[in-house]
Amino acid sequence: MSENTVSAPDVSQTALRRPSSSGRRKARLIAWAFVAPAAIAYAAFVLVPLCMSVYYSFLRWDGIGKARFHGLTNYITVLTDSDLLQIIGNAFQLVIYFSLIPVALGLAVASAIRSHMAGRFGTMTRTVLFLPQVIPLVAAGIAWSWMFASSGLVNQTLKAIGLSDWARGWLGDFVWALPAVGMIGAWVQLGLCTMLLVTGITKIDPSLYEAARLDGARAWHEFRYITLPGLRQEIGVCITVTVIAALASFDIVYISTQGGPGITTTVPGLEIYRLAFAHRQVGLASALAIVLMLLVLISIAPVQWLTRDKK
Amino acid sequence: MKTATPNTLLARGLIILLMVVTLLPFLSMLSAALAPQGTYPNGLQWPEDPQWGNFIRAFEVAKMDQLLLSSVLIVLGVVPISVAIATMAGYGLAKLTSAKYKWVYLVFVFGLTLPFEAVITPLYYEVRALGLLNTRFAIILPLIGLYMPFGVYWMRAHFLNVPQDLTEAAQLDGATRWKEFLLVQVPLARPAIMSLSILLFLWTWNQFLLPVVLVQDPMQRTMAGALGAFQGQWGTDIPLLCAGSLLILAPTILLFLIFQRQFVAALMQGAVKG
Amino acid sequence: MAGLTLRSVIKNYGEVPVIKGVDLDIAHGEFVVFVGPSGCGKSTLLRMIAGLEDITGGEVKIGDRVVNDVEPRDRGVAMVFQSYALYPHMTVYDNVGFGLKLAGTPKDVRDKKIRDAAKVLQMEHLLDRRPAQLSGGQRQRVAIGRAIVRQPDVFLFDEPLSNLDAALRVDMRMELARLHHDLNATMIYVTHDQVEAMTLADKIVVLNGGVVQQVGSPLDLYNTPANLFVAGFIGSPRMNLISGSVAEVTPERLRIVSGPSSFWLEARGHGLAPGAEITLGIRPHALSVDPSGTLAGKVQLVEQLGNETVIRVLLAVGTEVTAVLAGQGVHAVGGPIALGFDAAAVHLFGADGNRIALSGD
Repeated sequence: MSENTVSAPDVSQTALRRPSSSGRRKARLIAWAFVAPAAIAYAAFVLVPLCMSVYYSFLRWDGIGKARFHGLTNYITVLTDSDLLQIIGNAFQLVIYFSLIPVALGLAVASAIRSHMAGRFGTMTRTVLFLPQVIPLVAAGIAWSWMFASSGLVNQTLKAIGLSDWARGWLGDFVWALPAVGMIGAWVQLGLCTMLLVTGITKIDPSLYEAARLDGARAWHEFRYITLPGLRQEIGVCITVTVIAALASFDIVYISTQGGPGITTTVPGLEIYRLAFAHRQVGLASALAIVLMLLVLISIAPVQWLTRDKK
Repeated sequence: MKTATPNTLLARGLIILLMVVTLLPFLSMLSAALAPQGTYPNGLQWPEDPQWGNFIRAFEVAKMDQLLLSSVLIVLGVVPISVAIATMAGYGLAKLTSAKYKWVYLVFVFGLTLPFEAVITPLYYEVRALGLLNTRFAIILPLIGLYMPFGVYWMRAHFLNVPQDLTEAAQLDGATRWKEFLLVQVPLARPAIMSLSILLFLWTWNQFLLPVVLVQDPMQRTMAGALGAFQGQWGTDIPLLCAGSLLILAPTILLFLIFQRQFVAALMQGAVKG
Repeated sequence: MAGLTLRSVIKNYGEVPVIKGVDLDIAHGEFVVFVGPSGCGKSTLLRMIAGLEDITGGEVKIGDRVVNDVEPRDRGVAMVFQSYALYPHMTVYDNVGFGLKLAGTPKDVRDKKIRDAAKVLQMEHLLDRRPAQLSGGQRQRVAIGRAIVRQPDVFLFDEPLSNLDAALRVDMRMELARLHHDLNATMIYVTHDQVEAMTLADKIVVLNGGVVQQVGSPLDLYNTPANLFVAGFIGSPRMNLISGSVAEVTPERLRIVSGPSSFWLEARGHGLAPGAEITLGIRPHALSVDPSGTLAGKVQLVEQLGNETVIRVLLAVGTEVTAVLAGQGVHAVGGPIALGFDAAAVHLFGADGNRIALSGD
């Protein structure tokens, strides 16, 4: 610092150019110091494990003994083994329930209501609809396991309306277990999506609807040309959140079906846990984990891209 | 606006239907929880003789007092530190906006979509190497790291919206960066910090995967982890299971009902930003 | 108690130069206004003095001290921001006292200083409020109060009045002038409003494109603008600029032609030769209706302001000029008109845009 100022008395135009002042370097250092603790925690418990996951995925290792390099074999297994493919497919089937049902119902409610939910009714609605977001997914799993049990409310209702033939042990049924698990996810996501979409629709300028009506638009047109584009961002948010929840699901399945019957409801999250800690196939578990991470990224990217604010 | 009336009715109907669907599982659990012990109750049927005692028994069986303590300890270990370092980093990154440093932020944001399952296996070995397996630290330390993407993202977004003028005014008033952060930025960030705290509290309290993998003893786990163990042990005794589950849910639901407004705001913003 | 010296001050954003070598001397107690169009670098220059922007080259001295690498807080400057930049979570009292608190000033001293400042600015009744509860003018006072309590060597103002409505702006302008008088402090004030510059400044610095165009007292700038830019920027309505050329030169006089117009100016020592391209500058107030006037044209627009009449005239050469005429004359739009002027009020600018002195000095 003093070097620069000593030469000050005989100033010439060029003598005082300096590449970067010490003040700015210091400011940058301080900014780094602010970031450091978070960066260390993040590196230690996310980035390093992630790198280890990648490393493990190339190994054949039981977690105890000596590990052997296994090349891409684990990845080939993940992408060819019929059980593992079915498990990945299960996760994508869950997306239909976790995402589609809440978004569709949310849109229906939002376009019907199209205004703020004020007052006591609004508060009550918000409170109730957010309950599933507040409780652990494990609790949702337990509650619905009971709902879907043979003497549970679902069967009780079916019997009451004369559909006794339909009553069954839903979560133990080879055909119906996965949709039942999907319904649990839909139940959890429903409130959040509805509230997001209802809030989103109040931000659309009402005069747009009035203008459309003057232009002779029908209800369907209003929905198609005003509501949907206006809610693009909110829909994007709902889909992103629910798709991640579906693909990375673990808690609900672990509690309600343990992946059964057979592997009809096993999802990658559960399979990673089993492979790594029950079957001691750490390499394969890690390869599946990396594939899961990539699948989430690949599924989210187009949603983010399509629904981004195009300003 | 005249045409709004039938729509409003339809909307109300739909919403009430949604509310009923949302509440039914809870009611069904409550009715089962009140059924006499050892019976196999029906889905939704108010018992003739409600056994409120089931809750007391579940409280004892589940060792609710110890569970609460354990969860509180974990939350206290995770949330304040996470919020503090995420706030600092969010502020730091809001000041490092030039293209040259964008990558730091992008590395953090990358973690937003990372499923915990992707790192759970190595975390197990890492925690074991640290000698922390089966302690609460096995949950606390990894969670702090895992919350950083969201926390940093959240706080940075807040700090980007604070006018640069305030920083400059503080600089001219003689504040060092640290003083400016503590005396000007943090007080202004209170709403964002509050929301972040609520979300991290919920996510910690409800965390399931980490306890299941890293901590065997239910008494060292979070509420959700303990609930999993409770189901494993008492899964066949429906009244006890339902009573226990409701008890384990009670603290969060109570907090939620008290701070309803803040929770809802936090969850909505949390979804939008996440 | 300090003046300020800038020597060859340069600022680049990456490769883009925004301040291209500024030299300036400001004496203690002076009220200096930086004025210029937006993007001219005036705010950047102010922020470099404050220490909020790095100085790419050159040197800034406050008093006798080079402050290039001194932290803003140690420069002895205080700044009033355009947005006021009040801390929203603090009361007015704490806003004003924040700097003192950070400096570790004892509580009783601090309290006295805050209350003194509040008294000077007549805002003692506001001390318990928060910024959100204040009007724009009140916030402005608080921002000034925050600067005053620190007793800085130099006050910096960055367009402080631009967020106020017109009436309030006039009041605050007078108040700032009073404050400058009472505090006898060095003040540097940035604005794009030439009326603020003219009314407040001891010395105006006109900037354009990162280059100082002219430094001088308000009347200097008005009477002898150094170049076309200053001529067009200072004065309202703008000076009329008409292109023309030198037709004849005698030792005592010059004949100028512009289209069909032709007239003589008293001029010595200007170095102009016949045929030289020049630009004439005539202030709207210097024009008058004169049937024998040399500027003939058609009336395009008439604005009656009561005490004066503003007309726009399209000259035969195709240039539009504005004339401000005393009283409430009647002029038909589209009708012919001839304008005259006092030859002594004519400014002459060379092809390079710089002023050509006509008096020989």
